[in-house]
Amino acid sequence: MAAIEIQELTHTYGNRRGIDRVSLTVAEGRIFGFLGPNGAGKSTTIRILMGLLRASSGTARMLGRDCWSDGVRVRRKTGYVPGDVRLYAWLNLQRGLQILSKVHGRDVTASGMEYAERFRLEPQLHARRMSRGNRQKLALVLALAPRPDLLILDEPTSGLDPLMQDTLMLCLRECARNGTTVLFSSHTLSEVEAVCDEVAMIRDGQLVENDSVSVLQQNAPRLLRLLLNIDQAVPAEWPEGCEPLILPGVECHSSAARKAQLLVPPGLRERTCILQFRGSSLGLLKWAVDRRFADVEVGPPSLESLFRGYYEAV
Amino acid sequence: MRGLLQKIRLEVQWPVAWFSLGLMLVMGLLTALLPKVLGNIHEVFNKMPLVKPLITALLGVDPGDQISSGLSQAFLWTHPTLLSLIWAHELMYCSRLPAAEVDRGTADFLLCLPVSRWKIFLAETVGWLVSGAIILCGGLVGHLIASSFVHPEMRLSQTDAFRVLINLAALYLAVGGFAFLISAFSDRRGRAIGIVFALLLLSFLLNFLAQFQDWAKSIAWLSVMEYYRPAIIIRSGEFPADDVKMLLLLTGVFWSVSLAVLRRRSICTV
Repeated sequence: MAAIEIQELTHTYGNRRGIDRVSLTVAEGRIFGFLGPNGAGKSTTIRILMGLLRASSGTARMLGRDCWSDGVRVRRKTGYVPGDVRLYAWLNLQRGLQILSKVHGRDVTASGMEYAERFRLEPQLHARRMSRGNRQKLALVLALAPRPDLLILDEPTSGLDPLMQDTLMLCLRECARNGTTVLFSSHTLSEVEAVCDEVAMIRDGQLVENDSVSVLQQNAPRLLRLLLNIDQAVPAEWPEGCEPLILPGVECHSSAARKAQLLVPPGLRERTCILQFRGSSLGLLKWAVDRRFADVEVGPPSLESLFRGYYEAV
Repeated sequence: MRGLLQKIRLEVQWPVAWFSLGLMLVMGLLTALLPKVLGNIHEVFNKMPLVKPLITALLGVDPGDQISSGLSQAFLWTHPTLLSLIWAHELMYCSRLPAAEVDRGTADFLLCLPVSRWKIFLAETVGWLVSGAIILCGGLVGHLIASSFVHPEMRLSQTDAFRVLINLAALYLAVGGFAFLISAFSDRRGRAIGIVFALLLLSFLLNFLAQFQDWAKSIAWLSVMEYYRPAIIIRSGEFPADDVKMLLLLTGVFWSVSLAVLRRRSICTV
């Protein structure tokens, strides 16, 4: 049974587009990344899954149950963190776990305190006195405490420092190993690439990409960084399939080129060429070796470059 | 449900305590002071003729040139301060779900708990009833304590006080039910409160105009004050069964529609 099943899901906000005929399936125990530019429809999809919004048409099912009509049973097994975490001023970890224990009908305090320790969260501190990052941590701990079968996280690393981001990713991997299905949306493409088994991309309310990370990586662009020798000329021609991003003395305009600029070592701008290519690097390396560059470096396949293309097309 | 009730208690316990204390003090003061003030009311009527129609509008009956002790107690139970305090609590409480939750961004947290919307609404209803009972009892206690210091002839009998309190409780339910209804359609607490407040003011105004204008009298049934007449209760000594039934009917309709809207609406933090 698929943990999440969405078929032709559509939702509009009056005359405004929300999502349009989105279909996707997430198998149990997988970590699924949900990407898209601002306003693409990620949060709308997630809110329909959580029974907050009623779809205009189509179906949304989680753990075999309809998200709207059978929402209580779905939410009993689901942990959720919204995109914009806002909590009651009086809420702290202790009270939150008490309330959760009562609504779930079982004590979740022990597991909640375990997660609180990992996220370094003070049990007594009220939300009104918390920083944004701490509120995010509190929301995460409350979502994880009942050890749900399904985790729906809308931009869960928002506001977290890098250490806590790592802690969260480790927690998600552990949960997935224990059979929990995770769906999370993010703007941090590198973390999606590092953690997710599958990724879907939504843009303008429609699904534009949906595949496993390994398949996407095969088609993802890679970077080749060449360091010219002193007085070596920039090659007049490039191998087939290569797109020059950074060339000495040439202004870069694309967002991929601007990002690639960060890879240029200081003081070597006049001797550095960065190219983008897809597929095998063997032929390209042979070509580079024949020309005796001072240095050649091939980067790993980058989903970030692939998805930036979708973001740029908006 | 217990978790929801705990949440509600944490949010409203102090405002309810303050409202209850406030009403206790107000009722105590009014009970103690009104007989002294209204004892010379005929002088006020002579100096300021407009005062009599105002008092007539508040009481719902013509007080004559001299307000009797019974009618002075009716004035206590329709005093604007009393009604303002009670309705202020209702506006605060009944605009919580879902207007206030959406407004402050906590709707997602609440509605994603593994409880149905009708249970959430039921929990809010329980909180509303309990808080109303606490506040009204606070007012009653203030009145009873102050009554012990008032001349026996100026005191309201316990039976009459009970009848008026039941009528006031029914009014509380009807106004609160209406506030729930407006909130059920709203995403903004301020807007929900504003609408209910405006309609309560119109109710008061209509009740006032009905004393002077025939056209207002013909539509006075639209005013909520038409169903809360302590002066008539005290004067007749009868239980206001019809008024209470009407108020309870309105409560039932408003509450049911609120629940239906809440269950079917798309609600989330904007």
